[in-house]
Amino acid sequence: MILGIVCAVLITAASLFYIFYLPGELYLGPEKTRASYLRERKDVVYENLRDLNFEYRAGKVPDTDYQSLKANLQDEAAGLLAEIAQLESGAIPAPRKARS
Amino acid sequence: MAFIGNFALLLAFALSVYCFGAGVLALLSPDEPNSQRLSETARRAGIVVFGAVFLAAVALVVSAFRDDFTIAYIFHHSNRDLPTPYKFATLWSGQEGSILFWCLLLSAYAFVLRLRYKTDPRLFAYASVVVAGVQIFFLALVNFAANPFGLLEGPLRPDGSGLNPLLQYPEMVIHPPMLYMGYVGFTVPFAFALGALIMKYPGEKWIHITRRWTMVTWGFLTCGIFLGSHWAYSVLGWGGYWGWDPVENASLMPWLVGTAFLHSVMMQEKRGMLKVWNMWLVFACFWLAILGTFLTRSGIISSVHAFAQSSIGSWFAWFLGITFAVFVFFFVLNHKHLRSDNKLEGMISRESSFLFNNLLFLLLTLDVLWGTWFPKISELVQGNKVTVGAPFYNRVAIPVALILLLLTALGPLLAWRKTSLESLKRNFTWPFTVALIIALFVMLTPTSWGSIFGLKPWHDVSYFYSLMTIFLSALVAFTVGSEFYRGGRVIAEKTGQGMFASMVQLTHRNTRRYGGYIVHFGVVLVMIGFSGSALNQDKEAELGYGDHMQIGSYDLVCRSYTQDDNANQETEWALMDVYQNGQLVRTMTPQRIFYKASQQASTKPDIDQGFKEDLYLVYEGQNDKGQPVIKAHLNPMVIWIWIGAWVMIIGTGLALVENAPVPVTVRVPRMMEHAAPVAGD
Amino acid sequence: MTISKTIPRRALQAVLLSLAIFIFSGASDPSTRFNEIGHQLMCICSCGQILLECNHVGCPSSDGMRNELMAAVSRGDSDSLVQQAFVQKYGPTVLAAPTTKGFDRAAWIFPFIAFAVGTVLVIFVVRAWKNRPSPVLVGGLPITNTDFDRFRRQADEETDL
Repeated sequence: MILGIVCAVLITAASLFYIFYLPGELYLGPEKTRASYLRERKDVVYENLRDLNFEYRAGKVPDTDYQSLKANLQDEAAGLLAEIAQLESGAIPAPRKARS
Repeated sequence: MAFIGNFALLLAFALSVYCFGAGVLALLSPDEPNSQRLSETARRAGIVVFGAVFLAAVALVVSAFRDDFTIAYIFHHSNRDLPTPYKFATLWSGQEGSILFWCLLLSAYAFVLRLRYKTDPRLFAYASVVVAGVQIFFLALVNFAANPFGLLEGPLRPDGSGLNPLLQYPEMVIHPPMLYMGYVGFTVPFAFALGALIMKYPGEKWIHITRRWTMVTWGFLTCGIFLGSHWAYSVLGWGGYWGWDPVENASLMPWLVGTAFLHSVMMQEKRGMLKVWNMWLVFACFWLAILGTFLTRSGIISSVHAFAQSSIGSWFAWFLGITFAVFVFFFVLNHKHLRSDNKLEGMISRESSFLFNNLLFLLLTLDVLWGTWFPKISELVQGNKVTVGAPFYNRVAIPVALILLLLTALGPLLAWRKTSLESLKRNFTWPFTVALIIALFVMLTPTSWGSIFGLKPWHDVSYFYSLMTIFLSALVAFTVGSEFYRGGRVIAEKTGQGMFASMVQLTHRNTRRYGGYIVHFGVVLVMIGFSGSALNQDKEAELGYGDHMQIGSYDLVCRSYTQDDNANQETEWALMDVYQNGQLVRTMTPQRIFYKASQQASTKPDIDQGFKEDLYLVYEGQNDKGQPVIKAHLNPMVIWIWIGAWVMIIGTGLALVENAPVPVTVRVPRMMEHAAPVAGD
Repeated sequence: MTISKTIPRRALQAVLLSLAIFIFSGASDPSTRFNEIGHQLMCICSCGQILLECNHVGCPSSDGMRNELMAAVSRGDSDSLVQQAFVQKYGPTVLAAPTTKGFDRAAWIFPFIAFAVGTVLVIFVVRAWKNRPSPVLVGGLPITNTDFDRFRRQADEETDL
């Protein structure tokens, strides 16, 4: 019983120490900004564009539908890219070169 | 040990209360200078909760190993001669222990969640608080209503009353943990969803973060359900694997809703649609999982699985009510945030197929829920109970499941946004033709081929369903196959690789989609296994030495029968020689075991598994001459259920693998701008 | 008419035909009937199993019930008569599924109503979404056409397979 109580006290003390002893800086993570939101959107639109290209080549989307759907998605992507570029530099720079 | 266990449980309870309280305070006043530190202490308290609950669980298991019968729970669920692995199972074989086990798994999930907070600290802080809320409930239960460390009243007994004999089977050691991992795991997606709703999370990223958690949970639940049915098949000895028992239904419901969610979540990720719907689906998964636990624990609905009737039912009822109220409150408060205005480009599209998919899964859930509660409703309305058993579910659920299977076949052929009828027809023609040929083949072959051959749909409605299942399963298999083929061809054209390498690359590029297709393929195998049940046969005979019985193409001869005795159990069995076409193919030994500690008997069937059919022998007992009564079942195609389950698990595992990077990588900007966050589209 | 059009139609006809055949034909030989009715009854020993699937050792009820059923079937009693006799002796819970009389009908009707309502609802939702106006694109920045084209091209390059 006494051994049990000693154990309990030790465990409680160790737990409290771990919980409340916080030296150093805390990790707060990047702040969510308009630009990071736009980049998330861009990733989604890109994903959709890739899917569309893929489905077109796999023969699931007819040519006419493909052209109009692709145009819509590209417009959306271009809008996002433009705004991201503007936020990044304050002006609209030339499009970034993509690595392949 | 009881002292340490009780202490650990109390500590865990106190810390989870702190975790919840401090977490809420920190989130309520984010601008206070100390709120970040407060939030961090809450997170750490949550981490310690896991340690404390783990300690309590260890204390219980150690007590089982030390045969500490001063603890009432150990006395009721263990005995000295219980084999070692089953002493572990003591932890989840009774009411109190299984709730402790629930706490342990929940704390383990919460532990991982709180460790991974760096993914998105704010969202994780909200999720952590929600999980802490659920932890408080279960820890309160285990501390104040169903304490596993309660002491036995009266004089100390020399030996315990033993583990339920039905549970003394290897699979029983892993089935409950798997199922519980599934049940408990739905707390995490729910916590993220509720957190995102409360904080009006901008964008859909949270659902991306939750995706993997949901898949893992779903995988465990799938595993648990199949292990359970395999256990039922190999232990209960009635020759079947699914009895539509309320507790089985309780595990099926969150699975069905979870499956619906795994599909509809893609709509939100890709198109920003169905936000409100998904919110409710996540909540329903969680709620049904708790309801399932409640049904098993409270004894409100009679079932083979039910634990003893107990008072904790009202605790669960309150908890279910409170979570519902909390969810509805925040939903009403913030539902405007979930508005989406995406347009559907075509009536026939992947999107609309997902909507129908969700409808059908929800209908199945509703049917099962309705069937499970109807006896209660009937008692309230007309004053007498009725039974809602297998015939009801078969009639109501099978047609819906068949339509769902048809949709599984069509879905992969539909493109996102818009699909023309022309391309659908083009892609559908040959899978349809081949599937039709297969179905006709199965129908027209002679019945003497055994198994599912010679299935004449006009003989019985169940034959018709079986044939439809085979036809639709073949259809799904071929459309899934054609999807891999077409995708592989695109990659092969692009890269010049061989077809197989291209298909591997295809899968690696979009693991979720192609892993998902493999899960579908597993489902097909499972369905083919189910389709065999229409042709099940059984026969019963009392057999003396050398007596014969005939079932299907098998001739069974009773070579001998005898019995055996050890400290834990008494066993009777028959030695049966199995002949096919005059050849001895196997010797089988169905058994009946009498467990001494619990004074209960159970049968242990012997099963000869084959790809065409299982021969399943049960030792039913002895007649008055002391001869064994043997029941033989011939169950076609059952093995495909277990193979299919494996394929489903493998597919789920594959879907969890990180996608291979797309060939074009985009530079990640170094600088982070500070502008106002925006609400979702 | 093309082949691809006739095949589904023929298949549908075949399906309907086979459906009709099994609906209008009934089983008649005693062992099939025993099996069929026995699967619509429950064992009443509280094991919660279908009568013919109840197998637990030393069950106090199922043997007797099976014998009664066998006797009734060999007497040539009709299905409903057999069921009525069992209900009178063991109470309504002996039937494995609700009957189609009185409030029990609700058990059967509800799933079909849910199916019908759900299907109509989904069709309605799909139509409504189809008729929505196109969403306005994000942004609305003052950018020139040439810039916009450049970004479109960038998106195109970055999403090639």
